[in-house]
Formats: sequence, structure tokens, C-alpha cells
Amino acid sequence: MITTVTLNPAIDREYFVDKNEVMKNQFIYNDQDLKIYPGGKGLISAINFKSLGYKDVQNIGFVGGKQGLFFEKMVQKQDIISNYIYTESEIRNNVKIIGRDPATYTQYNDYTYRVEKEDVKELIVRFKRSISESNCILISGSVPEGVDFDIYQRLIKIAKDKGKHVFLQASGEALKLALESNPDVVTPYFKHHKTILDMEMNDKEDYIKAGKEIQKRGAKRVMIPFHCDRLLFDRNGDVYQLSPKGYCIVNWLGSSDAYNTGYLDYAFKTDDFDFLEANRRGGAAALWIAENKEIYLKDRENYNACLDRLEINKLEV
Amino acid sequence: MSNVRDYMVRTMNSVTPEDSIRKAIILMYRSEQSVLPVVDNQNLFVGTIYSNNILKNIIPESFGFLDSSRLFYEVNEAVENLKYVKDEKVEKYMSRNRDAVKEDSDMKKLADIMLNNKESLLFVINENGFLRGFIERSNLLHYLLDEAGNGKAD
Repeated sequence: MITTVTLNPAIDREYFVDKNEVMKNQFIYNDQDLKIYPGGKGLISAINFKSLGYKDVQNIGFVGGKQGLFFEKMVQKQDIISNYIYTESEIRNNVKIIGRDPATYTQYNDYTYRVEKEDVKELIVRFKRSISESNCILISGSVPEGVDFDIYQRLIKIAKDKGKHVFLQASGEALKLALESNPDVVTPYFKHHKTILDMEMNDKEDYIKAGKEIQKRGAKRVMIPFHCDRLLFDRNGDVYQLSPKGYCIVNWLGSSDAYNTGYLDYAFKTDDFDFLEANRRGGAAALWIAENKEIYLKDRENYNACLDRLEINKLEV
Repeated sequence: MSNVRDYMVRTMNSVTPEDSIRKAIILMYRSEQSVLPVVDNQNLFVGTIYSNNILKNIIPESFGFLDSSRLFYEVNEAVENLKYVKDEKVEKYMSRNRDAVKEDSDMKKLADIMLNNKESLLFVINENGFLRGFIERSNLLHYLLDEAGNGKAD
């Protein structure tokens, strides 16, 4: 079984309109122009794993209120095993308005979700017993209000004590603390911070310094997004740069989740793990999402067609 | 051949024998389920906790025979009893039955079990006994509707 963790889920609602104008009522009559789907980093990867044919994939985290139950139904419809702690407060709704002409994209991100201490305690207990069948845990995304930033550190420690492999995608303080529990693979993201481990990220040297520091603090392998590239830090200290060639990006949403899925899918399927090959698979999956108007992966054949357009070069550091 | 896997609801929503009745009740109302699976600390299915069992224990004498004149008294008594029961462990009130179905069971077999045992809901486990979710009568009806030739509902 694959376990993914999503602590701060959301119902994502996308409205497509001809022209997004302020102070104007919009009417949507075509269901193609209205998309509602369950969002949250770990969950998108979970859906990807199902598309790739994995039998049992669970998503652990919090859901809240009646909207939480609706969210859970949407997750179950994807054949994901839901494993949620039910909270009193309602989960988030993110609204995206997409205008066609001119092309505009307006996002209203909801950060009102709050989790009580008792629910956090229950999550820890549930997590402990729910990972017994999993070899790999993917922890990804933000932390809701009410949850201490050491939550990932605690979850990773539980997983590592049970001999599980942990892949972490996090940012800010949660990332910093999580490193103390020695996750196997770390990929930071920059949604709210322009810093990694409190270091400003401006040029490539800053990114390299941050990657090295993440490894120094406990991660075995690190991948850092660097514009449209990735900087790869292998466990032996080597640093590489993965670059896509001749691409046309039409969508960012879901690409980092696809990257995580592609990387882990390769890791699950091979007996002879090669860090660079795992990143090529991840990069191909991310590229396929970025060039298509899709959030979820469909199958390996689709994204493996992008493998030829990825280049990896070793950096002299 | 259709399997339970094709029609079940996948969820790990559960309690353990060591959990309190209070926790089970909160989980029941938040998840809108009146029956919960009980699992051990590895997520192996070990039994079932029914809201009816909890109610029977807090309104012991007259459950099922309430009339309106006694209702107020009975409810007060239930509240008083629950003050004690809420901190007790699930293991005291759970059924240790093993009437779970396997996810690769034939749906025809499930129809048999469900109708003969008068169970409205059965928990689903994998071949090793780990919890996978549940299947209820509406899922059975969904299967029967598909068999009747209307095609998959979704």
C-alpha cells in the first residue's frame, strides 16, 4: 500500500468565463466551465498512483464539517482509501476564476481551516496504526492552523522508527523541523516563502547552498525546483541540474505532484535504483502535466514520451 | 464476475478496542456512520461497534419500548449513564464477530451474506485481514441494478 499524507485539504473550484470582469455578474450554464475536485498535494499524487495501476493507495489527514464529507466522497470516487480525522470546522474552498479573452487567472485561496489539538493527537494515533502495510510514505503540502510546525517531524519519526521510506515535500518552519527526523527524500516548495531554511533564494548558488544544508541537516537526497529546472542533490554529495527542452507550459497545477509520483513509481518498480533516472521519470511526468490541461497523470506511456526532452548535467560545486 | 472491490466504499475510519466510547460517539456523528469497525494497532479488523449497543447499555431496561410518558425520564437516565460509560473502553461494548467480507469476494456471495444475516453493512478486509472499508445495502442494490442491465451507475 502507498500512503500519502494531506493535512490541509481543499475543495478546488474552477470557474471558466469568457471575460473576468469586476462588478459584473457571470452566468455559467455549461458544466464544462465548472470544475470541482478534491485538492491537496499528497492527494493529487495518490490519484496519480491509482491511475498508474497501484491497487491500494490511502490518503491520511484531516477533513472537516459537511464539506469535509463531500471532499471524502470525491476522494473515494477516485478509489483512494480515505483515512481522515474528522474535525468540527469546515475545510477550505479555493476558488479560481479563469478568463478566456483576455487570458486571466484569479485565485481566492482559503486559509481559514482550523484543527484542534485533540484532532492532532488522534491523527498521530491513526497514522501509527495505518502505515503498517506501507513501505513508503509521501508527506506533502501545507499545515493547517492549530497544528504545530513539528507535525511532519513527528510523523516522519514514527515512520522511520517502523523502517519506512519517507518522501517529504514541505516548506518553511515545518520543513526545517522535519529534517531532524531524517526523511529520505526532500523537495522544498516556495508557495508562501521565497526562502529555504531562512535563506533567501536569488541565484543558483543560493539554491545549491540550501540543498547542501538540507542534506547536512538530515535528508539523504534533495530535489529543489529552480525556475523550470530542478537541482538534484545525490546522497554522495554530487549535484546535478535537470532541464526540460523545447517545452510550452500551459498549466502548473499538479506538476510537482506528478514529479513526486513519477520519481516514486520508478523507485517502486526497480531493484536497481538510480537517482538520476528517478528524476528523469519525475521530470517527464511533471512536463507532461505542464504541457497539458490536466492535473492528474493518466498512464506511464503518456509521460514517458517526454523522457527524451530532459537533460541532466552534473554541476561542479 | 463483479467483486466487492467494485462496489465498496474505501475508508479506514475506525476505532481501536482501547479507545473510549466518547471517542467512538464523536467519530460516529462526525462521519455520519452509526456502525464503526474496530481494528488493532496494526489496522487488522477485530470487530464492530454499533451505536445500538451503546444505546442499549445506557437505556438498559426499556430500549425499544419507550412510550412518550416515560421518554423524558429515560433520556435523563441515559445522560446520567453516559457520564460513566463515555470513559469506558470500546472493547467492553464491541461485538467481536468476524463477519467481514473480503474485497475479492463475489458480489453474489455478498448478497447471500447480507440478506441471510440481516446486516445492513459489512466491513471489508483484504486477504490478510487488514481493514479496507465497508459495503452496505445501497451498494448491493447498485450492483443488482447493474446486473439488471442498466449498466454501471457511474
